[in-house]
Amino acid sequence: MRKLSVLTLVVVLALVVSAAGAALARQNVEITLMGWSSSTEENDALLAQVAAFEAANPGISVNVQLVPEYDTTIQAAFASGDSPNVFYVDSSKLPDWAEAGVLASGEGMIENLDDHYESLLEAFTYDGTLYCPPKDFSIMALQYNKDMFDAAGLDYPTPDWTWDDLRAAAEALTGENEAGQKVLGLVTPPNFERWLPFLYQAGGSVLSEDWTEVTLDSDEAREALEFYIGMVNDGIAGPPSMVDAGWGGEAFAQGRVALAMEGNWVISYLVEQFPDLNWGVTELPRHPAGGQASMVFTVCYSVASDNDYPDESWQLANFLTGPEGSQLVAEEGFGVIPPAISAADTWLEAIGPEIGEGFLAGAEYAHKWQFPVGFQDVFDTFNADLQLAFEGQYLAEDVIIDTIGVAEEVLAR
Amino acid sequence: MTASTTTAPHERRSPLMTALTVVGWTVLIVFAALEIFPFVFTVANSFKCLPAVQSYPRSIIPVPPFGAECQTETGAARSPGDVSGAVTFNPTLEGYEEIADANLPRWLYNTAIFAVAITIGRLIFDSLAGYALARLRFPGNRLVFYTILGTMMVPAIVLLIPRFIILKELSMLNTYQGLIVPLAVDAFGIFLMKQFFESIPNEIEEAAMVDGANRLTMFFRVVLPMATPALTALAIFSFQGAWNDFLMPLLILSGDSDLWTLTLGLSFLRGAYGETLRWHAFLAGSVLTTLPLALIFFYFQRYFVEGVSYSGLKG
Amino acid sequence: MAQPQVLARPKVTTMAAKRRQEALTGYMFMAPALVIFLVFLIIPIGAAVYLSFTDWNGITPVFDEGAYQQVGLDNYRDLLLGEHTEDDGRVVKATTRQRDFFISLKNTTYYVLGVVPTQTLLALILAVIVNQRWLKAKGFFRTAFYFPSITSSVVISIIFMWMFTRGGLINTTIGAVFSGYDSGSFVNWLDDPRGVIHIILEQFGVTRANVGDWASNRSLGLTTWEWLSGPSVTMLTIMILNTWTTIGTMMVIFLAALQNIPSSVYEAAAIDGANAWRIFRQITVPLLRPTTFFVVTLGLIGCFQVFDQIYVISSGGPAKTTLTVAYMVYQNGFNRSAMGLAAATAIILFVIIFAFTLLQRLFVSERANV
Repeated sequence: MRKLSVLTLVVVLALVVSAAGAALARQNVEITLMGWSSSTEENDALLAQVAAFEAANPGISVNVQLVPEYDTTIQAAFASGDSPNVFYVDSSKLPDWAEAGVLASGEGMIENLDDHYESLLEAFTYDGTLYCPPKDFSIMALQYNKDMFDAAGLDYPTPDWTWDDLRAAAEALTGENEAGQKVLGLVTPPNFERWLPFLYQAGGSVLSEDWTEVTLDSDEAREALEFYIGMVNDGIAGPPSMVDAGWGGEAFAQGRVALAMEGNWVISYLVEQFPDLNWGVTELPRHPAGGQASMVFTVCYSVASDNDYPDESWQLANFLTGPEGSQLVAEEGFGVIPPAISAADTWLEAIGPEIGEGFLAGAEYAHKWQFPVGFQDVFDTFNADLQLAFEGQYLAEDVIIDTIGVAEEVLAR
Repeated sequence: MTASTTTAPHERRSPLMTALTVVGWTVLIVFAALEIFPFVFTVANSFKCLPAVQSYPRSIIPVPPFGAECQTETGAARSPGDVSGAVTFNPTLEGYEEIADANLPRWLYNTAIFAVAITIGRLIFDSLAGYALARLRFPGNRLVFYTILGTMMVPAIVLLIPRFIILKELSMLNTYQGLIVPLAVDAFGIFLMKQFFESIPNEIEEAAMVDGANRLTMFFRVVLPMATPALTALAIFSFQGAWNDFLMPLLILSGDSDLWTLTLGLSFLRGAYGETLRWHAFLAGSVLTTLPLALIFFYFQRYFVEGVSYSGLKG
Repeated sequence: MAQPQVLARPKVTTMAAKRRQEALTGYMFMAPALVIFLVFLIIPIGAAVYLSFTDWNGITPVFDEGAYQQVGLDNYRDLLLGEHTEDDGRVVKATTRQRDFFISLKNTTYYVLGVVPTQTLLALILAVIVNQRWLKAKGFFRTAFYFPSITSSVVISIIFMWMFTRGGLINTTIGAVFSGYDSGSFVNWLDDPRGVIHIILEQFGVTRANVGDWASNRSLGLTTWEWLSGPSVTMLTIMILNTWTTIGTMMVIFLAALQNIPSSVYEAAAIDGANAWRIFRQITVPLLRPTTFFVVTLGLIGCFQVFDQIYVISSGGPAKTTLTVAYMVYQNGFNRSAMGLAAATAIILFVIIFAFTLLQRLFVSERANV
């Protein structure tokens, strides 16, 4: 009898120990967060956020992987079935990845929905499903060089500016600088996303609401494109390379253009590397008939659909994008705007209200940068044709016809 | 070429010879200058602070003085437009400091390990395979050669994901061996060695064979020493190829930043949109990445001269 | 008295056994290489071939159920014919894919035709010069020429980008030498889509407008005028970059081969009274034939697959003039969610390279006993 009770005791003890061990083991979860590297400060801020999360959630440890060539690396991870638990998703990539089935649905999993901007949630909704909480966003706005405006005796741009004002200013500000180099009024990168605001301001569109029809064949589109190309052909605007720059921000920073249309990512660049530049920001000009539009570029924290730890992953995503996580980042005053509406004031204060307002104001009417799967072909064709149009080899009409052709083909696939 | 000077009768230097010599020298110097000058500027600019790189890339003598004048009184960086053009030799090490902080020593260490291991692997396996293809008759000899040649003709991009999946299934991702084993043999090296072995006369090996040596010993004791020029070339190519490889480390090692190589680390310095922001650090990194290779090449390239002379075969 | 018969040592090995021994040795020697190749090269290539017959997007985990469908030759049809027919009879147009493919083919061909002969010739000349007895400071020159090959292509591309920006090092240096070349007339090396042949023709007054109607005939998505554009200015810049980089490698290969030519050959020729040029033409060049084949083959293979520089510098732009076939493979596989199409593009490229190499081999073999 005693042997049996000893045996029972041992068995029970073993069971208890293993159960406790299992419980403890389950507590120590490690999840992976994959993203790309921004500046050193932003990377450090992310690590700080993650540390705060880990402190608040003992038992979950986060392995942060910031990789170069993010798109290639993460695609390989997806394809092999070894996706990280949480990862960045750019709104332009959402359709592709959602269609491929690698994103978990965010319906019912995302917290603090009313603390998020509508337009951002819209950007991360595909085919009726909301996928992920936004991480940060940037809005396109109009930057102007105050010194150059002063020198020419012009008034600074205001939110009431129209295309005509833009054109007039660009014309007046084109010339040469002290070193004898060419200076343009406005920098117009040959990119689809830089031209889109003009299209939307004119009241045009690329696709129908449900993405089934191409609606680019319109007078509005022609008007908007002719305006854009016209400025270049008249020599008052041009691509960055024409003023020896790699991108619009650089052209603006070097004083080779008086006006640029960049998003708030340009703030860190200008503040850190060109602190002596005297510049201001306002909203993009309106169409003469009053239409206002801008573009929003945003990234979200998405949870993998094939996931060993979905709960913990959602906890991380929600923390990083919630009020607390947003505040941590907002205080730092980085170029990108944190997602929580409640953190907007903190960010404005950190970045400087004058500059910040000019960008933030556009959040209400900004369009998302997102198109159906495979639309990259359309952008490429448009960009290529636009470059030739800048050279005077193509007309706006040619560009539009070409683009429509490709768009229709892509939709038919 | 170590030939004794022939006592050619009355070797007069015709004007044509002199002209050709002058032309030859000019061509050489011009080409050498063309080949090197980007590096001269890279080195020079790596010693400048960032605004100086942006505004005065052409000055070989680094412009603003160390630290202080690259920043305003408040410590903020100067705008490029502000930097004066005074030519004073006062280099700064900012770029090098920044990149050292960014973990360059570790990258250097990793890259060295990979490069050495891969080179040793290729020296052994490529020459074995090249010799087999050149000298040994076995069924499928030609087929194997053309297959190997063929593998060089497939764009590596399309193999990225299949390779990644294979390595993952073999649990070799984010490990040292994961990078070394797939690269321990390469088609180019095999091709190189095969061509070389085919150009060596058969007599030496046949002599050794008659003496009763077996293939393997003969290979290591007789054939390989004869192949020093080709092996040197192979070693140089392999080392440098491994040192500079970007795609494979990206694929295999990106998950563990402690394993990163120099190329991965340097690409990290580029902004999210691909633009290079920290030029001085990037250039400093480029210098540090290139220097070891240059030294190694400079040291080993004399073996091309002191290679095997075949005059010993005659007679 | 009979001579003691010297018995021949009993032949342990027969001819057949010897051959078996040799074959075995052959396999043994090849074994490590074969294994590694099989696992890390042959199998992935097989996978690529397989995938070229599917519509996989490259993202959905490949081993999942329903990750992709078999589509037979549809990818190939899209690229070569510009359309394919679905099972239900619906014709799906793919003119963009076809046009992009042939644009990339055109660009790559101009690239190959420009770079391969140039780099081979220059490398050969330099190797011969550097090899001369009368040359001092050989080590320095050899290192100088090889230097560009030492650096990572990614790094060197970025450095070149920095040098060739419109207001950068190259332009300002040329401007300092030629007074007529100033900020207004600087060439926009990295962003100029105009074809070089078009620019040359323009100097002679020939433009698209006045060359005649035949120039507007469309074939495979491009007008004849467009086919005759030559590489664009930006493509030319990249060609210069690559030639500059690879001359050193090819030179090293030629040098190694030159070492194998016994000096006695040169001495004999010198005694016979041959001058330097004849020696070069009738002794050096023929003796280097296998090496030349090697160098040209390498050049072809490398040039047809040019990718790194495009990726870093131009991403296929401006106006798709630096879009090469290899870059298109990357684009389709990683930016367009069309990995099946990318695989098909890669296979087609493989076939092209293979054909060119065979052609080259035939050409070379005809004139020598290689």
